[in-house]
Amino acid sequence: MNGRRLVIALAGNANVGKSVIFNYLTRLHQHIGNWPGKTVEKAEGTLHFKGYTIDVVDLPGIYSLSTYSIEESISRRFIAVDKPDVVINVIDASVLERNLFFTLQLMELETPMVIALNQMDVASRKGIQIDVEKLEEILGVPVVPTIAVKGVGIFKLLEKAVEIFEGKLSAKPKPVKYGEEVEQRIERIAEAVRDSGLPYPARYVAIKLLEGDREIQEEVEKADPQAAALARRLGEELEKLHGHSCPTLITSERYQAANCIAREVQRLIPPVKPTLGEKLHNVTTHRVAGYLVMAATLLSMFLFVFAVGNILSEFLSSLLYGLKPFFEGFFGTGFLAQLFWGGVVEGLIAGATIALPYVIPFYLVLYFLEDSGYLSRIAFLMDSIMHRMGLHGKAFIPLLLGYGCNVPACLGCRIMETQRERLIAAFVTTLVPCAARTVIILGLVGRFIGIQWALVLYVFDLLIIFLLGRLAFKILPGEPTGLIMEMPDYRLPHLRTVLSQTWFRLLEFLKIAFPLIIVSTLTVKLLEALGMLSFFTSLLAPVTVGWLGLPVETGVTLLFGVLRKELALIMLTTLLGTTDLSQALTPVQMTVFTIVSMFYIPCVATIATLVMEFGWRKALVITVSEVFLALVLGGLALRILVLTGLR
Amino acid sequence: MSTTVETGGREVPLAMLRDGETGIVVSVKSGYGGAWGLKKRLMDMGITPGTRITVVKSAPFHGPMEILVRGYRLAIGRGMAERIFVRVEETQAGCRES
Ligand SMILES: Nc1nc2c(ncn2[C@@H]2O[C@H](COP(=O)(O)OP(=O)(O)OP(=O)(O)O)[C@@H](O)[C@H]2O)c(=O)[nH]1
Ligand SMILES: [Mg+2]
Repeated sequence: MNGRRLVIALAGNANVGKSVIFNYLTRLHQHIGNWPGKTVEKAEGTLHFKGYTIDVVDLPGIYSLSTYSIEESISRRFIAVDKPDVVINVIDASVLERNLFFTLQLMELETPMVIALNQMDVASRKGIQIDVEKLEEILGVPVVPTIAVKGVGIFKLLEKAVEIFEGKLSAKPKPVKYGEEVEQRIERIAEAVRDSGLPYPARYVAIKLLEGDREIQEEVEKADPQAAALARRLGEELEKLHGHSCPTLITSERYQAANCIAREVQRLIPPVKPTLGEKLHNVTTHRVAGYLVMAATLLSMFLFVFAVGNILSEFLSSLLYGLKPFFEGFFGTGFLAQLFWGGVVEGLIAGATIALPYVIPFYLVLYFLEDSGYLSRIAFLMDSIMHRMGLHGKAFIPLLLGYGCNVPACLGCRIMETQRERLIAAFVTTLVPCAARTVIILGLVGRFIGIQWALVLYVFDLLIIFLLGRLAFKILPGEPTGLIMEMPDYRLPHLRTVLSQTWFRLLEFLKIAFPLIIVSTLTVKLLEALGMLSFFTSLLAPVTVGWLGLPVETGVTLLFGVLRKELALIMLTTLLGTTDLSQALTPVQMTVFTIVSMFYIPCVATIATLVMEFGWRKALVITVSEVFLALVLGGLALRILVLTGLR
Repeated sequence: MSTTVETGGREVPLAMLRDGETGIVVSVKSGYGGAWGLKKRLMDMGITPGTRITVVKSAPFHGPMEILVRGYRLAIGRGMAERIFVRVEETQAGCRES
């Protein structure tokens, strides 16, 4: 084993399959789905290959080296500044032209690269045939056809990448030749910046200057003001000559080049009949049917989760609680045995019977939807409503993902273009009932009062989100950015991807949730045994009992719920000593408890994410205001429900 | 909206095209207060002068438009579509009933 290291980055447009390749190479579990913008942070993994230790870096998708949102600048910085040894440029063979536009920019950066011509199966299904050798010849870069989801071509891809690094492949990239007038000026600017000590190729700097790239302009301004002035002057000349702005000119000519290459290497025999995917697309984005389908989809999703969850929950409780006689037979009924049963085993059982049953089907459905391509259609339909909150349709995707877990959803808000939009989007995302809160909604209200009331709570939550989103928009006014979003073709969800994503999310859940459950229940049981629990609960009693009308025990469980929301319910069962909560709580109490748990605070992990993304001040404001929100809503709900004669 | 699209070589914002109509991009106007980024973004997504764009459908309530550009499907907000000026294709126009 020698210490030869090599950094390979995966770069390319959004949704082309970079993360699939990354996962395949590193055996890690990056988020995969069929919508643009999933990877929002660079991810690293290692692999050993031909005596090398290779660091593989998965990057967020970008359409151009001129960047807009945070996740895109992460990619650009890594490619242009950190300079990986080799870039694997993953391109979607079924949208060749737009992908090549980015490839041409990478070539201008003179990055050593290999092209993964991915999604070959999709391309051929769409009737697109690509002459790989010709593409290789035109670009002067090795091209490897791949089908990432099946692992086809990945080994060869890696081989080529290593050969490029070793200089065994004599790749001579042939970058774009712009028009005569443009070329002359690029030459002159490149000459001027050649000795300015910038860490990029001179030609690249010249092109980016003409393209109006802010970052490069600033860098050049600092390093060599004269060159910057020259670039400005020559740019103005070009604008006079062509009647278009200089960035327009460069972008157009580069696209023209991409277009020519694409036309030269691909043969198109479009299928005669519209595919099933297209028909599905037409229905799901239809101005009337689209909304009906969306409502039906979300509704059946919840019904499915509830039905499966109930069956699993019942099965698991009868199985696990049946263990108690064996347990007592083995450990006896002494103090320690009881503490062990009540503090550890019961906590685990409660976790297994209350949380898991709803979490598993939920993730399955969510990943299924994600991998189908439906999310971008929903974003399309929801665009105008999101505008009312100062956001655009794309923000609906993190919002939906929030139903799984708020943490990645808040990170996912990076796909929004401005800081203001990111903040509003993340704020409303924390109000979305995540899987943990779904456990409470379905496991308490759904189970003991009725599924229709659980549904009412979900709708109520959406209403609150909308109202608070509007309020946030009023507080943080600004022109919402318009939507610009690719809608990838529908695809039959890849079963293995869906299953493995569910499985690894579940493992994560188990790893974090169960230790917390044990520690928390044990703490509470100990406090109870020491007679100190009543002290803490009585401190909170004015709020929990006085204002919210809940049993006094809920004070502690809600406190622990900050760690993870479902703890609030799980610990309630251990404290009240029964999973049949209908014996301990009235329907009104269940509803109030659920409403409070839905809103009262983002969990610790979410707060940490908010701090990381927006700073502790904003995180604090969001956290505190949600505590108040929950108390107000819970108290009001109690009084209204009691007024209407419910108990 | 009750707009009749003039095809006599006049430029109209993309937002005025009806479902199924095709236009050739003439220019893309930059955003409010010269928000250059958005214009560049549109161009980076392939909407450059000379590009052919087909409007597939528009979402209700002043929602976004679905367009076909360079062989893929793009959703763009109505505000964006108002900044993209196109010339409606003559051949297309000839096929439509007058
Ligand atoms: N049929 C087919 N599907 C593929 C192929 N490669 C990737 N996919 C699918 O394409 C979608 C996007 O894949 P990802 O790996 O998540 O894409 P990405 O490039 O990482 O996307 P971002 O992180 O959003 O930029 C997923 O639904 C994959 O299952 C392929 O070769 N064939
Ligand atoms: Mg990815």
